Amino acid sequence: MTQAPNDTATALLQIVAKGDRSAFAQLYNLAGPKLLAICVRMLSDRVEAEDALQDVMVKVWHNATSFDPDRGNAMSWLCAVTRNHCLDRLRARRPARMTVARDKDGADPLDSIADTRPSAEAQVMARGDMARVIACMGELPPDRARMVQGAYLQGLSYQDLAERADVPLNTMRTWLRRALITLRECLDR
Amino acid sequence: MTDHPIPENNDDLLAAEYVMGLLERPDWQAAHQRAAVDGAFAARVRAWEAHLSPMNDNYGTEPLPADGWAKVAARIAPTAPKPSRRRWWAGLATGTATVAALVVALAFVPVNRPAPLTGLQAELTTPDAALVVRARFDPTAGQVVLALNGPDAGAGLDYELWVIDGDTAPRALGVLKGPMSTITADLRAGQTLAITLEPAGGSPTGAPTGPLVAAADLTAS
Repeated sequence: MTQAPNDTATALLQIVAKGDRSAFAQLYNLAGPKLLAICVRMLSDRVEAEDALQDVMVKVWHNATSFDPDRGNAMSWLCAVTRNHCLDRLRARRPARMTVARDKDGADPLDSIADTRPSAEAQVMARGDMARVIACMGELPPDRARMVQGAYLQGLSYQDLAERADVPLNTMRTWLRRALITLRECLDR
Repeated sequence: MTDHPIPENNDDLLAAEYVMGLLERPDWQAAHQRAAVDGAFAARVRAWEAHLSPMNDNYGTEPLPADGWAKVAARIAPTAPKPSRRRWWAGLATGTATVAALVVALAFVPVNRPAPLTGLQAELTTPDAALVVRARFDPTAGQVVLALNGPDAGAGLDYELWVIDGDTAPRALGVLKGPMSTITADLRAGQTLAITLEPAGGSPTGAPTGPLVAAADLTAS
């Protein structure tokens, strides 16, 4: 099922933590395509994204022992490490204003993010927390859910979002915070 | 959506904003550093990372570059053995009584076994508890953050941080700057952190020259 790649990544990462390079090569092949996609999406620059993935993998190699399987699966951990690295790069670009990342057809990807309401398939396949989060995202007004997703996927700051929606920074901050609080309340239920 | 009041100083919200990436660089870095030193905040960050992780599916995948693995492999190549470090007492044999005291104090610091962990911490306290230094090591950032609570080192002096691994010589990590210092380091559980009083800028010799102020083992946080 969907958990299989996660379980494989988790098993591999624990072997990597012991310094096993061949397990690390397997982990690179397994998780690399997803992690590179994160870098490409967040950095909007294929060359920099490939460079970032290298940095991420070197970090993973040196910090694999800090992964705790009791606290989550390896793919989530790897994605979080990757997102943090890209966020660090993105924020270091300031104050040079970021160029708005566009899809291949030139559209703002924020406009085309898939509806977050759970598909029948997702409802069947997702388990536990995953199903709850997807359901809770579905409780947000669709435009706010899109904002949350767009911000997350591209690493957009409040300021980026405010500029793109052409609303005052505080308005955007209030919208997003309410969305996050709603999300948390739903998750706490 | 109902009009929720927005609570100020809401740690959980800050953790969500940090994980989302909504913060600009100074706030983002402050939150990053806090996650390294504040276990409760780090737990909130992990929870939000888990909450939001289903969105990772939306990233899809990208084909890896043909030379991708070769480049990564080159960067993790086994490093040549470092020049042998002096046994750590060797250079101190002719030292002063204060240095001898350092030897004794450090020799009796218990050593923990390395274990898988998410972070490391140590609390270095002087015997009279006048000075407390809390160290939190974030392996992801490769940084140790030190919160110092107590008197300054004094004019012309600095507190210097050392790491001691088994019976190897103390390795200088850097001097503490004010109440909050961040020092780049690569640390493991079971190593010992020690602080000595050194001339401003740190020991001129690369080995501790001043009195031991405090020492503690690194343990999983």
